[in-house]
Amino acid sequence: MRRVSGVLVFGGIGYFLIVELSLVATILYWPDFVNSIGGLIDLARPLPVVGEMLEQINDLGFYAYVSGQHYFKGCNLLGSVAAVMFAVGTVAGEAHRGTLEILLARPLSRRRILTERYFAGFVAFALPTLVATLTIPWLAGFVDEYVDLSTVLMGATHEILFLTMVYSATVLLSALASNPTKIALGVLLPIGFAYSLYFVKRLTHYSPLRLADMYDFVAIEETQALDWATCGPMLAASVALFVAAQFAFARRVP
Amino acid sequence: MSDGRGVVRAHGLTRRFGEVTAVHPFELEIGPGGITGLLGPNGAGKSTLLRMLIGLVPAHGGTCEVDGQALTGDGLLIRERTTYAPGEIATYGELTAEQHLRWMLRGRDAGAFDRARALAAGFSLPLDRRVRGFSHGMKRQLLVAAAMAPDVRVRILDEPTEGLDPTRRHQVLDLLARDAESGTTVLLSSHHLGEVDRICDRLVFLRDGRVLDEEHTTELHRRLRRAVRIAWEHEVERDTVERALAAFDNVRVDSKRAVIYLDEDDPRECIRRVAVLDLPPPSSLTYGELTLQDLYRELYGKEGI
Repeated sequence: MRRVSGVLVFGGIGYFLIVELSLVATILYWPDFVNSIGGLIDLARPLPVVGEMLEQINDLGFYAYVSGQHYFKGCNLLGSVAAVMFAVGTVAGEAHRGTLEILLARPLSRRRILTERYFAGFVAFALPTLVATLTIPWLAGFVDEYVDLSTVLMGATHEILFLTMVYSATVLLSALASNPTKIALGVLLPIGFAYSLYFVKRLTHYSPLRLADMYDFVAIEETQALDWATCGPMLAASVALFVAAQFAFARRVP
Repeated sequence: MSDGRGVVRAHGLTRRFGEVTAVHPFELEIGPGGITGLLGPNGAGKSTLLRMLIGLVPAHGGTCEVDGQALTGDGLLIRERTTYAPGEIATYGELTAEQHLRWMLRGRDAGAFDRARALAAGFSLPLDRRVRGFSHGMKRQLLVAAAMAPDVRVRILDEPTEGLDPTRRHQVLDLLARDAESGTTVLLSSHHLGEVDRICDRLVFLRDGRVLDEEHTTELHRRLRRAVRIAWEHEVERDTVERALAAFDNVRVDSKRAVIYLDEDDPRECIRRVAVLDLPPPSSLTYGELTLQDLYRELYGKEGI
C-alpha cells in the first residue's frame, strides 16, 4: 500500500523534475536554436514531417518551438511513460503480488476502491504536467519572450486530456490482466510505434500522436480556445475507458 | 431468528471456472451462533464457496444471505456485516503490523482497531515491525486478529490456523470458541480434523464442489461410535468382501478395510454375523474407535491432517 503511494508520490516528483529540467534546457537553448534554424531546415529535408515542423517554428516563433519540445516530445513521451507506470499497478499490481483478495475483502465497494486509485494516479501525472507547463511564462522571460498564462493553461489541459486517455486505457488493461510488465509493454510499444508512424510522410496522419502535436498547441495560442473537436473525443474516450475499467473490476475474481 | 441475524443461508449457489464447475448448486443454512467447519481436500471448492458468500467471487447461480442481508452487487452490504480472513497469505510487507491492521480495518467500527491491537499483542506480534520480516505464521495471526476484531455477527475464515504452531493454533481455536459462545456465527474451512473435531458444532464435507456429507458433530460422533471396522493386513478381493457383507445396509469397503455402520448401539449381533461369514481372516476387528480421520479417509480416500 505504502509502496503504491510511494510509486505515485516519488514517481510524480521524478516525472516533474525530468520534464521541468528538459523545459529549462529547451527554453534557454531557444536563442541558439533560432539562429541555426535555417541550417536545421536544410538538414531535415529527407524528413518532410520534421521539416514542416521546423518551418512552422521558423514562421510562428517561440511558442511553436516550446510546444514541439515540451508538449510533443516531453509530455507525450515522458508523460505517457509516467501515466502507464502509475496505472499498471491499480489492479494488476495487487493481483501480481497476491494482495487483491485482502484489498477486496474490506467493507469498501469495488467502485470506490477503483475510483480512489484512478484519481490518485491521475493526480500523480496531471499535477506535474500542469505545474511544469505553468512555469513556461516565467522561463520565457529569461530569453526575452512572452507567453500568455491562459495559453499554457489551455495547452496543459489539452495535454492532460491526451495523457488521461493513455492512462485510462492502461487502467482498463490493469483491471483485466495480472502482469504489470506485460501491460506496460502492451501500451508503451504501441506508443513507440505511434511515434515512428508520426514521422513517416502520409502515414503521419494515422498516428494517434496527431491528437496532441505541435500544431494543436499552436492552434490554441492562435485561437485562444481549446479545440473541442479533439478534446471532446479524448475526454469521452477517457470516461468510456474508466467506465469499462469499473465494469471489468466489478467482475474481477481475486 | 426471523430477521436472519447471524444466519448464513445459501440456496443453489453455483460457480464455474471455464468448463470446470468449482461449486455445484450448494445449499447451506447455519447460525445464529455456533462454529461450522468446511472440510475437504485441496480443490474441493471450500475457498471458492467462502469467497462467494462475501461477494469476492461472483456466483453464476443461486442466492445467498448473510446476517439478514442478501448478496447483491459486489457484496459490500454483506462485507459490512461480516469479517473474512483469506486462506492465502499475501500482505503489504512495507507496512508495519500496526499500519497493516489499520489498513485492513478501514470501514470497520471505531473500536475494531484497538481490539485488533490487543489481539495482536496477545499473539505477541511486534506491532512496530514491518510485515515483510514476519514469518508465515505471524502473518496468519495478523490476518486472524484483523478478522476477529470487528464487532460483527458472522465471521468467515479460510483456514485460520494454517501455518500456526500448536500453541498459537490452540490460542486461535480458544478465541473462536469464546467468540461463538458470545453468539457469533463462525464458518471456517480447515484441513485439520483434530481442530474441527474440537471446536465445530457442525461439519460440511465437500468434494469436487459438491456437499459430500453434512452432519452435526454430535450426530457424527454417534455415527462414528456405531461402526464396526474390519481390517486386513493384505489386500483382499473387494467383490468377495462386498458379497459377504451384502446383508448389511450401510457398508463401505476398500481393498484392505471394511466399515459397517450400525443403527443400534450394541455391536454384538453384527460381530456374531461377521464371524460366521466367508471372509479372509482379518488382522483386526474393532468397534467404536472410528475417528474423524477415519471418516475423512473413507470419504476422500486420503489422509486428513
